[in-house]
Amino acid sequence: MRRFLNKSPWWAIIYTVLLAGFAVFVLLDTFVIPKAIQTVRDSATETTAGGVYTSNSYEDENISITIMTERVDETQVYIADIQLQSVDYLKTAFAQNTYGRNIKQTTSAIAEAHDAILGINGDYYGFRNDGFVIRNGILYRSTSRSVDDDEALVIYENGSFEVVSESATSADALLEQGAVQVFSFGPSLLRNGEITVSKNSEVEMAKTSNPRTAIGIISPLHYIMIVSDGRTDASAGLTLYQLAAIFKELGCETAYNLDGGGSSTMWFNGEIVNVPTDGSTLGERKVSDIVYIGY
Amino acid sequence: MTLSISDTKNGKGKMFKTALVFLAVSLFCVIFSFIYARYSHGVHSDYMTYMFAYPLIGGTIVYLLIGLLSKARIPGRFVINVYNSGIATLTMGSLLRGILDIAGTSSRYQSVFMIVGALMVFVGAACYFAAQFKTS
Repeated sequence: MRRFLNKSPWWAIIYTVLLAGFAVFVLLDTFVIPKAIQTVRDSATETTAGGVYTSNSYEDENISITIMTERVDETQVYIADIQLQSVDYLKTAFAQNTYGRNIKQTTSAIAEAHDAILGINGDYYGFRNDGFVIRNGILYRSTSRSVDDDEALVIYENGSFEVVSESATSADALLEQGAVQVFSFGPSLLRNGEITVSKNSEVEMAKTSNPRTAIGIISPLHYIMIVSDGRTDASAGLTLYQLAAIFKELGCETAYNLDGGGSSTMWFNGEIVNVPTDGSTLGERKVSDIVYIGY
Repeated sequence: MTLSISDTKNGKGKMFKTALVFLAVSLFCVIFSFIYARYSHGVHSDYMTYMFAYPLIGGTIVYLLIGLLSKARIPGRFVINVYNSGIATLTMGSLLRGILDIAGTSSRYQSVFMIVGALMVFVGAACYFAAQFKTS
């Protein structure tokens, strides 16, 4: 055997096959193989309260939504102005109602499955092994991110927002303080009404303008969701600074960047509002979670 | 086990040939990372960008030095196999880490490549130097 392996090229052939095989396994494990960890029970407590839809708005006794479309620096930007009677109507949902890795559905499919009125993609928690995940008051992942920028967005039961450093707190502590939703992506765009990103800031290693998804708060129960197009001839995309400037102009106190790029999708009343694209093909990307307004 | 050393001219010729093969692998890595960067929407990873350094420094330069140093002994087949496999593992690990970084994710297995690769390079180098010392 030793003599066999010492003879070129058998060692090289066998080792190459083993190395390539393990690399393929790692890629499949990371990107393809679904790993369901926990199924979520449907938390819907009431049906839609007979609201009135127009092409760009929704109104009922508990929820008011207006969607505006603006052109900002050669980019189409979709702004949803949301006012609620209770934070209970600001919800999140997992793809296939299942918490896990590589469990994916399009934003529109998840939104339709939950009878959402308005939905945007979330933080794509299922693409990473760390980062706090608290959704609809349930803690799913308490592992903090091991990156320099580990800002998480916390939505509390009184409807307020707070940006926290994951390494400076714990998911259990946030839950005890009344967190109902925690997103782990970032960075924060606004804190105390001031822009917290520089003109050169980007998500990890990204350097260019991109499609974006973000959420902000003007005051408790008055929220702004923004999705911008990008990577197309019609829309260049926004930098984080440009995105933050829009939130500031709208009067937000806190704003937080969610998963963008090909994931960026806004869905309203059964229709996709923006133009989702991964840069090569148009269409929705499957994601692991959404943020939505509904009952 | 072929830990023994052969110092023939033919052996040194093989060192230069191996150095050239690693140079070709380094060039492939540079071209691959360049093409990958073109389609990654401006997202980059140093692990992808600099993965060529493993075959260039650990392969081309090391084998050139062995070939050029007149007193250096030529390592045996087993040592070369272990060392080369270590460089290949480190390069593959760097490539995978780059792909995962650019995608914005991670894998619990990514450190396996670095640990195994570094261990193999260490074992290969240790065997080589041990044999050098023994035969000097």
